[in-house]
Amino acid sequence: MLNSPYITKPASVSAVMFKVLAALLPGIAAYVWFFGAGILLQIALASITALAAEAAVLAMRGKPLGLFLKDGSALVTAWLIALTFPSIAPWWLIVLGVLVAIVVAKHLYGGLGQNPFNPAMVAFCVMIVAYPQLMSQWPAAGFTDFAAEFRAIFGADRHLDAIVMATPLDALRTVLRLPETRATVEGVLGSNATFGNIGGRGWEWVALGYLAGGLWLIQQGVISWRVPTAFLATLGLISGAFALVDATQYAGPTFHLFTGGAMLGAFFIATDPVSGATTVRGQIIFAAGIALLTWIIRTFGAYPDGIAFATLLMNICVPLIDMRTQRPVFGRKTGKTPDGRQP
Amino acid sequence: MSDPQDRLPLDDTPPAPGEVQRQPGAMKVSARTATVLLLFTIVFTALMAFTHDMTKPILDASAQAQKLKLIGEVLPPTLYDNDLLADAVTLPATPALGLDEPSLAYRARKGGEPVALVFEACANNGYSGRIGLVLAVLADGRLRAVRVSQHKETPGLGDYIDPKKDKNKSNPWIEQFSGQGYDLALGGHWKVKKDGGRFDARAGATISARAVTNASGKALIWIAERRAALFALPAGTTLQEKTP
Amino acid sequence: MNAYREITHNGLWKQNAVLGQMLGLCSLLAISNTAVNAISLGLATILVMGMASLIVSTLRGLIPYEIRIPVFILIIAALVTVVDMAMNAWLHELYLVLGIFIPLIVVNCIVLARVEAFAAKNPPGAAAFDGVMMGIGFVWVIGLLGAIREFVGQGTLFAGIDMVIPGLSAIQVLPEDYPGFLIAILPPGAFFVLGLMIAGRNWLDARANERARQRLLLAGQSSHA
Repeated sequence: MLNSPYITKPASVSAVMFKVLAALLPGIAAYVWFFGAGILLQIALASITALAAEAAVLAMRGKPLGLFLKDGSALVTAWLIALTFPSIAPWWLIVLGVLVAIVVAKHLYGGLGQNPFNPAMVAFCVMIVAYPQLMSQWPAAGFTDFAAEFRAIFGADRHLDAIVMATPLDALRTVLRLPETRATVEGVLGSNATFGNIGGRGWEWVALGYLAGGLWLIQQGVISWRVPTAFLATLGLISGAFALVDATQYAGPTFHLFTGGAMLGAFFIATDPVSGATTVRGQIIFAAGIALLTWIIRTFGAYPDGIAFATLLMNICVPLIDMRTQRPVFGRKTGKTPDGRQP
Repeated sequence: MSDPQDRLPLDDTPPAPGEVQRQPGAMKVSARTATVLLLFTIVFTALMAFTHDMTKPILDASAQAQKLKLIGEVLPPTLYDNDLLADAVTLPATPALGLDEPSLAYRARKGGEPVALVFEACANNGYSGRIGLVLAVLADGRLRAVRVSQHKETPGLGDYIDPKKDKNKSNPWIEQFSGQGYDLALGGHWKVKKDGGRFDARAGATISARAVTNASGKALIWIAERRAALFALPAGTTLQEKTP
Repeated sequence: MNAYREITHNGLWKQNAVLGQMLGLCSLLAISNTAVNAISLGLATILVMGMASLIVSTLRGLIPYEIRIPVFILIIAALVTVVDMAMNAWLHELYLVLGIFIPLIVVNCIVLARVEAFAAKNPPGAAAFDGVMMGIGFVWVIGLLGAIREFVGQGTLFAGIDMVIPGLSAIQVLPEDYPGFLIAILPPGAFFVLGLMIAGRNWLDARANERARQRLLLAGQSSHA
C-alpha cells in the first residue's frame, strides 16, 4: 500500500459498529412513522443475508467465523443498504444488493479493512444500474399500510400505482427539465401537498433522525466532527450559491441537506474508516468532495440521488488524497514529504 | 514481445533483413525505402479501391432498404403502391416538429389517392439527449403509428419507448398511439395520464414517455393541419409557410 | 510438428492475447455484451490476423527494417478496411451493431504485436497458423465473456443470431420473466466478468503448477529410493 495504515483500529471494532447501529435508530423510527414498517422487513432481510454471506465467505477463505462475524461490520453494511434502497423493493433486490456488497465489494478485495470502496455504496450503484426502475419506486409519504408493503416486497404480482411516489429529488429534476412547463423550484416543492417545505414531507424527519444519531456518535467519539461538518458545509455552500444566482431553477441548501441521503451520507457513509481518507486534512477533502459531486449529480446527472456514485468516485481518490496530505516524515531536515513535494 | 524466443526452429531465412542491407549510402537507402513504401501503398490502396467498387452497389441498396424498413414499421408497404422515396417534399426547419433543420416528408399513395405522410420529428426533452421519431399520419388525420428511430434513454428504465427494448412484447407501450386521431391532440388530451391526458406511462419512468407523447402530439397536429397542402405539392419542392 | 503444437498452446492459453497479455481490451470490453456480437467481432479479428500474418510473412524479405511498422500498419489497415466494407455489404444488420468497432481492429495491439513478434520472423505457413491461433485465442475469450454477460444480463444465449444466419433464433435459457441483470450488459459488467475470468485462469495455472511441483517431488523421492 502507499502509505500509513488504512484503518485506524479503535480498541474494539464491534463496540464501534454497534454504536453506529444504535445511532441509526432515530432515523429508522421516523422512517417507520412516515413510510410504514416495510423498512423493518428490509433491514431484517438485509441483516440475515449479510450474516449468512459473511459466514459463507469466511468459511471459504478459512478464516475464524466467530471473531469476524461478531464485529458487526456486516450488519452496518446491511443496514445502510436497507436504508438507501426503496423500502418497497422486492425482497430479492435487497438480498442481491447485500450479496454484491459482502461478497464482491468486501471480500473479493480482502475483507474488513482492505476494501477500497464502501460496500453499501457499491451495492447501491450496481443495483441502480442493473434495475433502475425498481430502484426508483419509493413509497409515498404517509403510506403506512404494512400489508400492502408486505405484498410489494414478497408478492409475485406487484401493483404499485397506489403506493409509488416520486421522491422530492426526482420530482424536482423531472419537472425542471421540461422547458414548456416553466416550472420553478418553489412551484414544484410548494404547490405539491405531498412534499414538506424543507426536504419533502417525511424525508426531512428521517433526515433529522439521522442528524440526531450522528451528533450522538460525535459526542461518543466514534466519528470525528470534521467529516460531517465538511460534508454538510460544502453541500450547503454550493447549493446556496446556485440558489442565490437563480432560486427558481436551483433548490436551496435546506432542501439539499434534508432530502435524500445527505444526512446519512454525512454521518454514516463519508465517515467509513476503511474506505475513507486517513489524514485529517484528507478526511475533510474526502467529505467535501463527496458533497460537491453529490450536488452535481443531483442537479445535472441522470440517476436519482448522487451520494453513492459520489462516494465511489471519492473512494478512488483516497490514495491520492492521503499521499498529498501526508505530514512530512519526522526528522527529515529537508522538510520534504516522502514523495518529494515541498510542504 | 520481440525477443528471440518467439522465433521458432522452423525459421529458414536469415534474420532481420534490414541489418544486411544497411551497407549502401544513406541516399540510396532512403530512396529504396521510399520506393518500397510507395509500392506497398499503391498495391494496398488498389485492393481497397477494388473492394469499394465491388461493394458499392450493395451498400447503396442496403442504405435504401434500411430507410424503407424504418418507414415500413410505421406504414406497411401493402398500404401504398407509389415509389415512396421518390415522392418526397421538403419541410422547412419547424419547431413544432422539434427539428432545427429542414427534413423530408414522404407521401404514400395508392392508385394516386393520398394514403399517408411519413416524416421525422424530434423530442428534445428526454432524459438524456434528443429522441428521434418517425411518424406516419393517415390522410384522414389519424396517426398510423410512431416509432423511435434513435434515443439515449436510460437502459432498462426509459428505453421502453423503443418497442425492441420494451419488455411487454405483445402490447408495446408505443402502440397505444396507433390509430389515434389528431382531434385528441387538439382537445389537449395528447398527454400522459400523470399530466391529465389519455396515455399510459410506466411507473418510475415518466420522463421518456412524456417526451415522446408531447412531441408526437405536437407533430401530429402540425402535419395533420397541413396534410392537404403537403399532398398537393409537386415532388421535390419545399413547403412554403404563409406568413402568419 | 512440435512447433505447431507450441503455437497452438501459446495462442489458446499460455500467451493468450486477452487472458495472458491483456491486449486488445478496448474492443473486447465494448462489444462483448452478447455472444453473437462478441463472436462476430472475434471472427473478423481472426480473419484480419490470419491474412495480415500471411502477407507480412510472405513479403518479409521485401520490407526494409526501418519502415517495417508503417508497412505493417498499412497492410493491417487495408485488410481491416476490406473486411469492414465486405461486412457492410453482406452482413449489414450485424454491421450496424459492430460498425464502429471493426475499424478499431487496426489499432488492436494483438494484430500488430503478432505481426511484429512472429510473422516478420517466420515462414508464411507458421505465421498464418500463428495469426489464426492467436485469433482463436481471442475469439474463445471474447465469446465466453459475451455469453456470460448475455446469460446473466438477459437470460438468453445467441440473441441476434438471425443477423448472421437468417432463420436461427436465440436460445431462451432462463424463464421469460427473468428480470435481467442489466449491469452485466452495460460496460461495468464487462470489467467485472473479465476480472473474474482472469482470476479463474490464474487459479487454474497455479493449480497446474502446484501439481507439476508435486509430481517432481514424488519423482525425486522415488529415484532416491
